[in-house]
Amino acid sequence: MASLSESAVKLKGVAKRYSDIVAVDYIDLDVKRGEIFGLLGPNGSGKSTTLKIILGLVKPDSGSVNVLGINVEEDPVAVKRQVGYVPESPRLYEFLTGIEYLDFVGDVYGMNAAEKKERINEYLEALELEGREGDMISGYSQGMKQKTILISGFIHKPKLLLLDEPLSSLDPRSARIIKDLLHELASQGVTTIMSTHVLEIAQAMCNRIAIMYEGRLLALGNMEELRQKARLPGSDLEDIFLKLTGTEDVKDVVEALLK
Amino acid sequence: MNWKTVLRLIGVDVKSGRLVRGRKVRRFRERRFFQYLLYGGACALGIAVGLLAGTFYDRIPDLETKIILYDGAISLFLSLPTLVLIYSLVFTLMSQIQRAGVKSSIQPPYWMPITWEEHTLASTLANLLGFSLASIISIGSAIAVASVFLKIVPLAIFVIPSLLASAFLASTTTEISRILQVRLVGAVYKSSGKAAVWVRFIGSLIFFVAFYIVWFAFTSGASVAVIGTVVGAQNAVWFVPYVWLGMALAAFTEGLLAHTVIFSLASLLFILILFSLAVGLNSRFGLYEPPAITVSRGAYVPKTGFLGKLGFSSLEAAVIKKDFKAFTRRRELMYIFIMPIVFILMPLMQYFGAIGRSPLTEASPFLFAWILLMPGALMAVMLGNMIVGQEGGSVWYLYSSPITANGLVKCKYTFIIIFSCIVTIVCSIVGILVAHPSLNFAVASFGESLLLIFALGAVSLGAGIRGADFVEVPRPKMIRPLTVLVNMIVCFVLALVILAPLIPYAVTTISILGIPLPLPTVDLYVALPISVIIAIIITYIFYKKAIKDAREFLAKAEV
Repeated sequence: MASLSESAVKLKGVAKRYSDIVAVDYIDLDVKRGEIFGLLGPNGSGKSTTLKIILGLVKPDSGSVNVLGINVEEDPVAVKRQVGYVPESPRLYEFLTGIEYLDFVGDVYGMNAAEKKERINEYLEALELEGREGDMISGYSQGMKQKTILISGFIHKPKLLLLDEPLSSLDPRSARIIKDLLHELASQGVTTIMSTHVLEIAQAMCNRIAIMYEGRLLALGNMEELRQKARLPGSDLEDIFLKLTGTEDVKDVVEALLK
Repeated sequence: MNWKTVLRLIGVDVKSGRLVRGRKVRRFRERRFFQYLLYGGACALGIAVGLLAGTFYDRIPDLETKIILYDGAISLFLSLPTLVLIYSLVFTLMSQIQRAGVKSSIQPPYWMPITWEEHTLASTLANLLGFSLASIISIGSAIAVASVFLKIVPLAIFVIPSLLASAFLASTTTEISRILQVRLVGAVYKSSGKAAVWVRFIGSLIFFVAFYIVWFAFTSGASVAVIGTVVGAQNAVWFVPYVWLGMALAAFTEGLLAHTVIFSLASLLFILILFSLAVGLNSRFGLYEPPAITVSRGAYVPKTGFLGKLGFSSLEAAVIKKDFKAFTRRRELMYIFIMPIVFILMPLMQYFGAIGRSPLTEASPFLFAWILLMPGALMAVMLGNMIVGQEGGSVWYLYSSPITANGLVKCKYTFIIIFSCIVTIVCSIVGILVAHPSLNFAVASFGESLLLIFALGAVSLGAGIRGADFVEVPRPKMIRPLTVLVNMIVCFVLALVILAPLIPYAVTTISILGIPLPLPTVDLYVALPISVIIAIIITYIFYKKAIKDAREFLAKAEV
């Protein structure tokens, strides 16, 4: 079933409210396989909630979510098996060492010992965590924790990556490795949906970008389509973003603050 | 010292109580009534006790009895500062231990203009909030009211501030021990390398065993004897500054004005010195980060799991292994291992210490039954309650991992059973060595202990899933208090139901109570299978219920 579908993720009329706050307001989304899809939006615009809805962590009030041909509500465990998830500022099991944590993740996703060893060692070396993998995570810096959580999202070879601010706290070398890795994985058919506030990263990495505001999908498309929508030919993503979200009045705000 | 800052910092600690899972924290409005209910209730209770005691004293016609009671009351008043000191020390130490990690007491944002004096004072006072302060309010109001009937109001006026000073002394001592412990433990970890995890685990257990031995040695026996001991001990160790408040009171009752003033001023000076020491240590080590613990070095070799051979999936085995590491590495979880030790120590010290029996000369079925049944069953109840909530903020991983409700219950339940059974085995060895039970009684008790573990473990796991609380600041809550209370009551009733078939056997055959009761004689080999059937039914029902709870829990991820 899954191989017949072009879509990796399909959201139809998805809405989620938290009492009087609208987190996601009836959005439709169709992310293709092998695509790197960016979710942009100001704080509280519903990006993280959308990612959690896709993974089945948050149950939408209405609408349907289909991931890799599976209805999330019907079989969330089957979806989770195929997803690598990196939440924003996650809490890790700090009493475990880095290697124990990754070993735990490998077991959770049913990896065999040889595969686990090979992949963990490869990632530790690539992200320069070698030598510190035997330390308890409680002693790690924020960047080291982020590397650990990223590795845990990648090692089981997921078909879909849901990344919430994946490059925060990373040093430039590691950030570059992750960016290149995502491109390489995309060419192998792995789909990535990432939320970020760093517009340069979104512009450089994503095939398509969705701009969210107050739970709504304001615009969706590649850079050219977004420029057309914003009627800002030749401009960069920052100008488009500020115009579409109606937050371009930054100059007035700064002046008011300086009074 | 900016008192407003101190109050604000204490307020931060008080407000941490808002963080309970399930509570709506948006547009939070403080209900002061509930905030002060504990203290108001303690005060009302104290006044009621004082009134009752005073009225009782007033209505005694016999002068001789009155004199005895009066002397007893004076002894009690004199011993109260030292008793409050000890109790406050226990409560504040316990409260500190349960707090998460190093940044345990109210952490001042160190980039803000807050002095170490303000931080230390706020931390010391905040430590006393809750049960410690409520106890002092209760005792204080009781003695204030009772003193009117006993006509010792001046003494009561002196005692009440002494109680507050004692509590402050205890809390300051806890603050000092906390800072020293963080620094000391850091140094030990650094020097012990790979063994640091086990050094910490065993060190914590040794500390608590020593702590409880001293505690029970002091408190075993009747309360009147304790009071007598305190008053006598105070005089014997007059050179120890901690008893100077009690000494000042004793001098006051004897009319020794000079001694009263000297001991009072010396106590005040001692409090100031201790507080200055706490401030000094905080400014020196307050922002100290213990070194990272290196558990393993060298090449990573994945281990083939033993649990896999027992039929667990790799995911279930991974969660069990992870939980084992959590309970042996997280300081705030280690106290679970202290509980069975306490339950062995408590009866042993009372039995052999206070009663003065020889450990190896006579059989004691009651002692054996207690040692065998209580620790294992309680371990199962406590582990069941906290095994899901202990995930804390990391629970997002459980939610996002491909774990099923069946798998979650299976691995958590297995963990509870393994640990509780180990405790029961250790306890049965201790019990056999000290209580010499008959073979039948030993087998029956061991069997019943296992039945309780299986049944109550399933009951408590369901409660632990339903009432899980993942808030970790300032201390991990793990489970909502109301759920604990309800679960305790349910477990108590179900334990009685499981044990019921054996009660006639225990009373008639073993005469466990030491009193002959007109109960029908029941054969052990009839009673035991009935008990097994009841336990199996309870376990089955509640295990299925736990799966249902887990299904709901995983479907409503709170991340």
